Amino acid sequence: MVTQQKQVRDLQEGGYVMMDEAACKITHYSTAKPGKHGSAKARVEGKGVFDSKKRSFSQPVDAKIRVPIIERKQGQVISVESDTVAQVMDLDTYETITISTPSDADLSPEDSIEYLEMEGQRKIV
Amino acid sequence: MFPGASAPREDAEYVVVGAPLDVSTSFQPGTRFGPDRIRTFAEAFDDYDRRTDRHFSALSVSDHGDVHAWNDVPAYIEYLSGVLRDVVWDDAIPLLLGGEHTVSTAGVRATEPELFVTIDAHLDLRSEYDGDEWSHACITRRVLETAEEAIVVGARTGSEEEWERAAEGDVTVVAPEDASTWLGSTDATERLSGRDVYLSVDIDGTDPGFAPGTGTKEPFGLTPREMREVVRVVAPHAVGFDVVEVNDRDDGQAAALGGKLLREFVHEHANNRT
Repeated sequence: MVTQQKQVRDLQEGGYVMMDEAACKITHYSTAKPGKHGSAKARVEGKGVFDSKKRSFSQPVDAKIRVPIIERKQGQVISVESDTVAQVMDLDTYETITISTPSDADLSPEDSIEYLEMEGQRKIV
Repeated sequence: MFPGASAPREDAEYVVVGAPLDVSTSFQPGTRFGPDRIRTFAEAFDDYDRRTDRHFSALSVSDHGDVHAWNDVPAYIEYLSGVLRDVVWDDAIPLLLGGEHTVSTAGVRATEPELFVTIDAHLDLRSEYDGDEWSHACITRRVLETAEEAIVVGARTGSEEEWERAAEGDVTVVAPEDASTWLGSTDATERLSGRDVYLSVDIDGTDPGFAPGTGTKEPFGLTPREMREVVRVVAPHAVGFDVVEVNDRDDGQAAALGGKLLREFVHEHANNRT
């Protein structure tokens, strides 16, 4: 998996981080001031980019953490197969891919969309 | 560790978290010692509860330890809320040990209850106290930014502004002398049934003759038995619980009562869960 390493202190809300081997978008970040006998700690909450599951972790701010590299791509809807699946053509490579659609998306052929891709996992945003 | 709270954190159904915040205490300080005082004076309690025929140590309680407090109260509350949210996400009930009453805000933010029930001598409905909106004298007001409604049991004092706020529809005040009657009333049953409730025990709700180890003593309070009755009635509906405002300025009376009420909460909640 393509990831880069960062320190926990460099994370911020809206960014991405790996939690339990899943790519997550950071929804909440808070830090605890160190006591005399401890180091500063951060608590990070996130939501799985591809599974929407809530996750969290607490780590010292100088701990190393992996951040996923997620590509944001442009596509055009070719056909809507069902309420949950669409065929989309990538506008860079012209490759046609099958992608699951969010429940609130109302897609029609020829719609332009943006989607996230990581390791073969894709999600319309 | 709270005596008997020996379950592994990942399997726990109840998680004790200490929050020794002692920043805004307006008269006698010492709530920073509250969590450890409560743990210490709970050591003498029997593990076995005769009424429910259960052992406390078998009720899957874990102790997370204390979340070290510092002076930036909003930042502390935000961090503490996150620690408690982890407990909620693990499908466990947070049991918070204060600390000044301000820490209840974190418990409420983590559990997002519809109804906040607090035992308290004070209304705590000030919009600010000494210019500080995070003062322990403003806690019910802050909580009402998250919860829909508050019931303050045992309240017997407040400023004119607070009593005016208490007259609004989202606040109910139950005077100490009315607590027993109200607990058995259909009003109590209807308000609690089917709702997510957060129960906060400010130890100063008790008469200070019973629990002098608290910062702002107010005479004519509830008896320990009445406190226990409130806990027993509310516990089955609760999604979170705290004991706050215990300090170190007595011989352990306040801490012993606080620890006993926490155990009473767990026994009653567990008894209604299965």
